[in-house]
Amino acid sequence: MTTAPALRIIGLRKTVHVGFRRRAVEILKGVDFQVAPGAVFGLLGPNGAGKTTTVKVALGLMRPTSGSVDLGVEGLAHVGYLPENPYFYDYLSGREFLGFCARLFTLDADVRQARVEGLLGDVGLEAAADTHLRKYSKGMLQRIGIAQALVNDPELVLLDEPMTGLDPVGRVEVKRIIESLHERGKTVLFNSHILSDVHELCSRIAIMREGRVVWQGTVPEALADSPTLEDFFMKVVTA
Amino acid sequence: MNQLFAIAVNTFKETIRDRILAVIVVFALLMIVAGLWLGSISLGEQGRMMKDFGLVAVTAFGLIVAVFVAAGLVHKEVEKRTVYVLFSKPVSRVAFISGKFVGLCATMAVVLAGMGLFLFALVWVVDGQPSGTVLLAVVMVYVQLLAIMAVTIFFSTLGSAILASVLGICVFVAGQLSQNVLALTRLGKNPVTEALSWVIYVIVPNLSAVDVKAGVVGEQTLAWGQIGLWTAYLLAYVVVVLALAALVFRRKEF
Repeated sequence: MTTAPALRIIGLRKTVHVGFRRRAVEILKGVDFQVAPGAVFGLLGPNGAGKTTTVKVALGLMRPTSGSVDLGVEGLAHVGYLPENPYFYDYLSGREFLGFCARLFTLDADVRQARVEGLLGDVGLEAAADTHLRKYSKGMLQRIGIAQALVNDPELVLLDEPMTGLDPVGRVEVKRIIESLHERGKTVLFNSHILSDVHELCSRIAIMREGRVVWQGTVPEALADSPTLEDFFMKVVTA
Repeated sequence: MNQLFAIAVNTFKETIRDRILAVIVVFALLMIVAGLWLGSISLGEQGRMMKDFGLVAVTAFGLIVAVFVAAGLVHKEVEKRTVYVLFSKPVSRVAFISGKFVGLCATMAVVLAGMGLFLFALVWVVDGQPSGTVLLAVVMVYVQLLAIMAVTIFFSTLGSAILASVLGICVFVAGQLSQNVLALTRLGKNPVTEALSWVIYVIVPNLSAVDVKAGVVGEQTLAWGQIGLWTAYLLAYVVVVLALAALVFRRKEF
């Protein structure tokens, strides 16, 4: 018996119209991949490859021009998302912000509070919990962003550049969070330019270029003919 | 409902903690106090001048808050990309628009309550007796501003925050004049201008129907039954405009 994928994307195309003349630009040109439940999946590609758009379409933030997205979970209530370069509400404290995010789900008050306090601890922000977000550093914002993505204890977690702006300590903490999600059987998809992190964390990767997935497979498969993931990545995106 | 409430509370916190709001309210209070001086140079009409000037100040500053805050509410969320956080969760666009509106209503209630009670106290000091109609007039200003906030939110889903603010102010002015303009064009007996002013009268909320400032200063008798009906009309108008805003916002991609 095969298990249904946690995320299946088939023939996804997205065209946007830009400028005064509404010029059509095709951002996604038929993206196909699937993520197995419990996997840590890396979506790689140079800037402008369409990684973020793919994730946005998967979440319903953008509508596909054609193709389909099948979330293997029952709706967005079971999905967590960290946007790239996240910006949150300046006037809220970290605790208030997580409380607000938790209220957007149908969670009991005591579960909500326990979840918020637990996550503040997990991302190492207990000491700054009552500080307004406008006073947070970039790394702290990234961490509170990860916490808000996990506030509903999601089955599928989509992280867009989770390591961006983090110092080495922050990166280690985020990697630890991703590993712990994996250990708990959650499915994680993340976009990253930091290939060493991808190598360390991902069981499977897909490489996108110009709106298409040009290669997908496991990390050992990628390393079969290349000494490092970086070499392999360069080979694929410049081919 | 849960989400609507969460968004409303968040919007209330966002707007009430904005320092610009405090600055506007302080200016409004200073303007109300300036009514004391105007009253002192009007012969034997100090109380009336105080009420008149004070209510105009409450309306003007209430309008500034309504229009500029409402215009930025939706726009800021899109601009600063906080919508990614919201709409990647199971939050409907209807709950978002309604929650934003309800939160702003709460902020406006606090702002107008502050200005209204201040004016009420000043009028009491000047007149030597409390005037409940001043507070009723402030409540009716609130009703007018609810319609303006809804209209401004609607415009902000279509275009920029600046455009939404300008259009919000235009609708406020048109709403004060539409009834009189319609009456005037009927006198002119020109079917084209009459039809045009009728269209404007139907589209724009009739704010003058719930404007009781003239009644408060004793220039008009207040017909509360009719005012109640017009209030119900304005509340229905708000629901329709917010539904349109949600409809437009549903089509948006981020």
